[in-house]
Parts: sequence; C-alpha cells; structure tokens
Amino acid sequence: MKGARWLVPPGFIVAALLLWEAAVRALHVPAYLLPAPSAILASMDAALFGHFATTLGEALAGFFLASSLAFLAALAFVRSPTLERGLFPLAVTLKTTPLVAIAPLLVLWLGTGWASKVAAAALICFFPVLVNAVRGLKAADLDYRELFRTMNASPGQEFRKLRIPFALPYLYSALKVSSSLAIVGAIVGEFVGATKGLGYLIVLSSSHLETDVLFSAIFAAALAGIAVFQVLGWVERRAVFWQEAQAE
Amino acid sequence: MASADEAAPCIELEALSLRFGALKVLEGLSLTVREREFVSLLGPSGCGKSTLLRAMAGLVAPSGGAVRVCGRDPREGTQGLQLSFMFQKPLLLPWRTTLENVLLPLEIALGGNRASPLDEAKAQRILRRVRLEGFESAYPRELSGGMQQRVALARALVSDPEILLLDEPFGALDELTRDALNEELVRLWLDPQAPLKAVVMVTHSLHEALAMSDRVFVLGARPAGLRETVEVPLAHPRRPESAEFIRLQGRLRALVREPA
Repeated sequence: MKGARWLVPPGFIVAALLLWEAAVRALHVPAYLLPAPSAILASMDAALFGHFATTLGEALAGFFLASSLAFLAALAFVRSPTLERGLFPLAVTLKTTPLVAIAPLLVLWLGTGWASKVAAAALICFFPVLVNAVRGLKAADLDYRELFRTMNASPGQEFRKLRIPFALPYLYSALKVSSSLAIVGAIVGEFVGATKGLGYLIVLSSSHLETDVLFSAIFAAALAGIAVFQVLGWVERRAVFWQEAQAE
Repeated sequence: MASADEAAPCIELEALSLRFGALKVLEGLSLTVREREFVSLLGPSGCGKSTLLRAMAGLVAPSGGAVRVCGRDPREGTQGLQLSFMFQKPLLLPWRTTLENVLLPLEIALGGNRASPLDEAKAQRILRRVRLEGFESAYPRELSGGMQQRVALARALVSDPEILLLDEPFGALDELTRDALNEELVRLWLDPQAPLKAVVMVTHSLHEALAMSDRVFVLGARPAGLRETVEVPLAHPRRPESAEFIRLQGRLRALVREPA
C-alpha cells in the first residue's frame, strides 16, 4: 500500500476534473462562465507554453536575485545589530506595502519588458527569505557558539561551519514559500503592462471572454507554482538531510 | 603525585569574583591547579562550579580578581593555549559524521581548510582510543548518548590539549556508561604519551570525584568560595570498596552537606 501513496493526490485531482466535466455537460453551463476541462485542454497550445516560459523565467530570475540579496542582507544584519535595527523597519515597510500598489511604479521605471516583472517577483520574495535567514543564522545555540570559541574559531569560521548549516532548514522553508510567491509577483507585474506572459494572457482572455484560455493560463500558473515548490523540496531533502531524519 | 607541591602552576585563580547583574555567583575564590594534576570541582547544584570552569576557559569575564592559564589571561584568546573544553551536552554537528566531527578542531586550527590525511589518521587513532572504531562514518543521530559523548571526548582530545576542562561530561548518561567512560578518561590521563598537563572536572558526584582526581575542591553555596581542598592519596586503579575510599567519601559528603 505504501508504494501507491503518491498516487492519492493526483487521483483526487483526476476525480475532481471528471466530476467537473460531468457537471458542466449535464447542466449545460455556458462555456464563457465555466468551460469543461476538455475544452480547456483543447485551448492549450504552443502560445500558452510561450507565455508560461516567459512568466516562469521572470519569476525564477526575481527569485534568485531576491534570495541572494536577502541572504547577504541577513548575514550583514546578524553581524551588525545596528544595521539590523536601522534597516529592518524599512524591510517591514516594503513587505506590508501591497505589490499591486507598487507594480505600476515598477512598469513606469523599468518599462513593460521583463525587467519590471523580475523586480516585482524579487520584491515579493525578498522579505520571507530575509526574515527566515536572520532567524536561521541566529538559531545555533549559545552552547555551540561557546564550543566554537573554545576552539578559537574566527567569526568567519563560525558562520561557515556552524551558523550557515544551522540556518539551512529555515532558509529552505522560506525559499519554498517565496518560490511560489515569485510567480504571483511576475503575474502581477504582467497585469499592469506586458505583451506576453501568463498575467498578460489572463487579462487579455478575460476581456475577450475567452474563459477556456483564461482557465488554461490559471492552470499553467498553478503548475508553475507546484513545479518550483517540488523542485525546491527535492533540493531541500538533499541539502538538509540531517533535519529530515530527525523529524521522522 | 608526591611532588605536586613543587610542580609549576597550570591554572591560577586569584580572589576571583563573578556576578551576573545583582546575582553574586563567586566571591573571592583562590585556587591553583598544578602540572600533572587531575582535580575536581565539587559542590551543591547551582553553586557556580560550571561558571568557575567557564572562567578558566575565558568564556565568562570575572568581575574581580584574576584568572591565569599557563600564565596567561584566557580572555585574551586561547590561541596556542592547547585548551579543550568538554560540555555537558555532546554538541556534535548533526550534518557531520563521527570522523568529521572529531576533525572539526583541526580544521579550525588550519584556518578552515580540509584536514590532511595525516590529521585523519590521528582522528582515527583517537576514535580507537575511545572505542568508536567502525563508527567513523555514522551521523550523530545514529549514535547512542554515550557514544555521542565519546565522540565529543575524542574531539576534545584530537588537538593534543595540555589542559582539559570537563563540565559534568558524563552527567547525562546512565551509571554504567558513565563508569566506563570515567575509566577510559583515567586511562588517557595516565598514558605517559598524552600531552595532558592538567584536567579540571566539574561534578556533583562524590564517587566520580574520588575515583578520578588527585585533589577535590569543595565549593560552598552561592556566592561560592572554596570551602575545603581534599587530597586523594590513592593510586589508580582505585577500588571504591576500599576502606580509605569509603572514609574519604564520608568526609566529602559531610563537607558538601555542611551548612554555610
């Protein structure tokens, strides 16, 4: 039975889709309101894949940019409490301002090309990674830090051999969250002004009442989110192998 | 240890006082640990014996008085002091194997570089001494508590320390494991090839103090001062059932229980 457990979530999804298909056909729901899954599937074409790739590319670029910057900022914050006290409120302000409010400004500054979408994705990713990286870098017990002091470890060695490995579980849980947020960020950026991408396709198809295309864009966005989350989960299990075994 | 009186001082505490805020932990405590001496710090729980040990390692700053280890202030860095500290908890890094955990102090001494094959051979040798051969590539979570603490002991010994500070090293273990590890520690201490000059062990076990040390410093209740120094003129291996051992045990018990 254990080997078939991974089949349970896709099984439920397939069952839900079949139910949906049956309901739409039986109740004669108009296609502009709720198209049948088969119609949505039929509307998926090479163009959709192009939009999907655009959005995924922008999201990943923003994700990597923001994660690297947030990790560097976290290292600086942990080394310098003054910096943390000074800049942390700024980071909180950035986080609490809704991205939809900033997105038009990003398009104004960076244009309707990919740059404004990467920036939007990066903005939404930055804060969760920063907060968790700071928490993770402070997670090593005082006992461990004292052990390193009795071994005459330099601050750099303490970071490399103690604090960063201890921060990895925190970091990966933040990366998993922000990877799906990055896709939200890229799509919001595309809503405001774009010529391609899933966000552009969603806006366009909803104004034309092409609900089947709209749904295919939504599914593609969901798929992108699930894919990045799963990939990061896979990397996490290998990078923090000791944590997983402890949890079991 | 008849010549202990003439031996050079290794660790000297002079009128040491220590307080955390308003809480006085140690007050005017003086004691000397000489070369080739294994001493124990014994006292009621919470009396500040661990704090005293941490002051010897430079982990806490005294509020008054002086600490000298090999003639130096450990607060100015223990670089080149050849001092190892063993904590109550094993404090192994969970992402490192047994061998990698033991190599950690050597890597740090090398400035963070990977240890050489020569260092690895040395770590293997020490792991054999603490009877962990065959567990080199096991991760800490795969080891029992006693084995983890043995890895911590190997890690403390791999850098050839001259001074070993032990903070209730086997206190969290069951009695059988604890006795076995104590015996191994005594074997290491008596090994003429070991570079160990002094061992200071914090314990709340009268038996452990008498089984291992040359002298027992009995501390009073907080703020702790030195209540009494008890010499243990027994040769190793010591027999806990001997009359002298039992007599000393009674004396220590009376000292620890005596009201301040």
